[in-house]
Amino acid sequence: MLAFVLRRVMQSVVVLFVMSLVVFSMINLVGDPVDMLVNPESLPEEIDRVRRDFGLDQPVHVQYWKFLLGAISGDLGKSFIFGRPALALMAERFPATLELATSALVISVTVGLPLGVYAGLRPDGWGTRIIMGGSVLGISVPTFWLGLMMIIVFSVVLGWLPVSGRGETARFLGIESSAFTLDGLRHLVLPATNLALFKIAMVIRLARAGTVEVMALDFIRFARAKGLAPRRIVLAHLMPNILIPIVTVLGIEFGTLIAFATVTESIFAWPGLGKLVIDAIVNLDRPIVVAYLLFVVTLFLVLNLVVDIIYALLDPRVRLQGDET
Amino acid sequence: MSEAKAVSAGRPETGLLSKFARSDLSRPTTLISGILLLLIAASATFAPLIAPTDPYDLATVSVLDGRLAPGEEMLDGTIAWLGTDGAGRDVLSAIIFGLRTSLTVAISSALIALVVGLVVGLTAAFYGGRIDAFLMRIVDIQLSFPAILVALVLLALLGKGVDKVIIALAIVQWALYARTVRAAAMVERRKEYFEAAICLELSNARIIWKHLLPNSVSSLIVLATLQTAHSISIEATLSFLGVGVPITEPSLGSLISNGFDYILSGAYWITFFPGVMLLATVAAINILGDQLRAVVNPRLSR
Repeated sequence: MLAFVLRRVMQSVVVLFVMSLVVFSMINLVGDPVDMLVNPESLPEEIDRVRRDFGLDQPVHVQYWKFLLGAISGDLGKSFIFGRPALALMAERFPATLELATSALVISVTVGLPLGVYAGLRPDGWGTRIIMGGSVLGISVPTFWLGLMMIIVFSVVLGWLPVSGRGETARFLGIESSAFTLDGLRHLVLPATNLALFKIAMVIRLARAGTVEVMALDFIRFARAKGLAPRRIVLAHLMPNILIPIVTVLGIEFGTLIAFATVTESIFAWPGLGKLVIDAIVNLDRPIVVAYLLFVVTLFLVLNLVVDIIYALLDPRVRLQGDET
Repeated sequence: MSEAKAVSAGRPETGLLSKFARSDLSRPTTLISGILLLLIAASATFAPLIAPTDPYDLATVSVLDGRLAPGEEMLDGTIAWLGTDGAGRDVLSAIIFGLRTSLTVAISSALIALVVGLVVGLTAAFYGGRIDAFLMRIVDIQLSFPAILVALVLLALLGKGVDKVIIALAIVQWALYARTVRAAAMVERRKEYFEAAICLELSNARIIWKHLLPNSVSSLIVLATLQTAHSISIEATLSFLGVGVPITEPSLGSLISNGFDYILSGAYWITFFPGVMLLATVAAINILGDQLRAVVNPRLSR
């Protein structure tokens, strides 16, 4: 078991290293960032000074080595645009993204689970057809366009909800969030729902498949024969059994929520990590892009590692398979 | 279609196309999606002939026509059925030309990814062992990252441009094709004809090309269809974010993005109609792809 974990950790470190190399070398092929930093009419001395300040006068491999040493000690360079450490900027923006992703997760489960279970209990009903049709549509509709339509309907036409920003935030139990003020909630509803839409469709499908599978099992039939109320069968016997796979999948999918938040944040001008990186890409703000990439790569490697280890703990076959290759 | 029917009359129960024609064209949603897709493909192909105006001919586009509501008449007398955008371009014409870019990007990236995926997948399945383990490890790693993120990163590195979007989308998709081909080819490997081919000492290239490839390809057709829809969507998202195709060659995504600046002033049509077209295209391809899957793999529809 220890050998398995160690090997997977080593693999992740290698991937991370290769990624940093690829990202760093490719990003150095795209244009000279000094052109972005200074006024084209500034004096050559001025340009040289800026070049030296950001360490851009040194050879590429030296820059990479410094970058690597810095990255290990948590220093990913200064943003060209903000002139502040990239990591500090990201840490500042991360709570907003986390809040958005968590709210989306909560929405997708509270909406998706009941609908999916209903569809699984009544496979031939009209309601089921509407739900399943809606979930196909939910997968087809590009999320960003639906976000725009939500703005048109709820903000422009009806005027119920604000269009952009995070609104007022408040501190509760040491967590700063806009979910604790009315104004913040009003700002949160549209982006969170928008981000949740795709996941709702997924939860519906998972819950339906699970319900159909579990309801056909013997212990459900036994519970029915015993004369338990349908409500109790669903809540006490069905739910715990279908929840485990759904929670697992959602855990893995949390990373994709953070990735997709880039799109939602751009639409609703939500001041999170995604907005930061999109602006950085457009403005060629290299350190931010690199820092974000390393952050996301690390996030996904860790998520996958945790999932792999949990699976290996639960199922010895996975471990043995790993030993062969 | 008549061709397909003729084939099905001659050889019952065989042929993908004939099965498709007989079993599923009777379903109304499939029929509607098929017709819709044909119309979309035709208007994209013959865009200059069909579009009422040329939205990128600066000589005919006038700013004075800017932000006309749907149905209003432009200065030169043509009616803008879907309105005009801020620069006075006819939205309907822009959509028809935008479809062209969107479909070109999606289809060419799908083809490149298909070819790369085929080569990698067949190589992995045929040689097995370390080569297989190595290639599939790369596939696993790539597929553990969401497509939109990988594409975003690649475009951040490559820069803007139609060719770059195609490259990025091809890189995003190849792994999925490789995994699917490998799975199909691994099944074929265990069959007797494959052993026979090995015993006959046919060359590797011949076995892969003449035996493994034709038998592994049917599941790919379904994947390619669904992936095309997916990449149209990704391309639109990227262009919306401003890292996709440049303003000079707008796709549906950049049209939607362009309209984003006007929605707060109530000119909803600049964003709304390109989005409807995007939705219709993606949904039609998805529905057809699902039907195709049911034909290729009847077990799944049970």
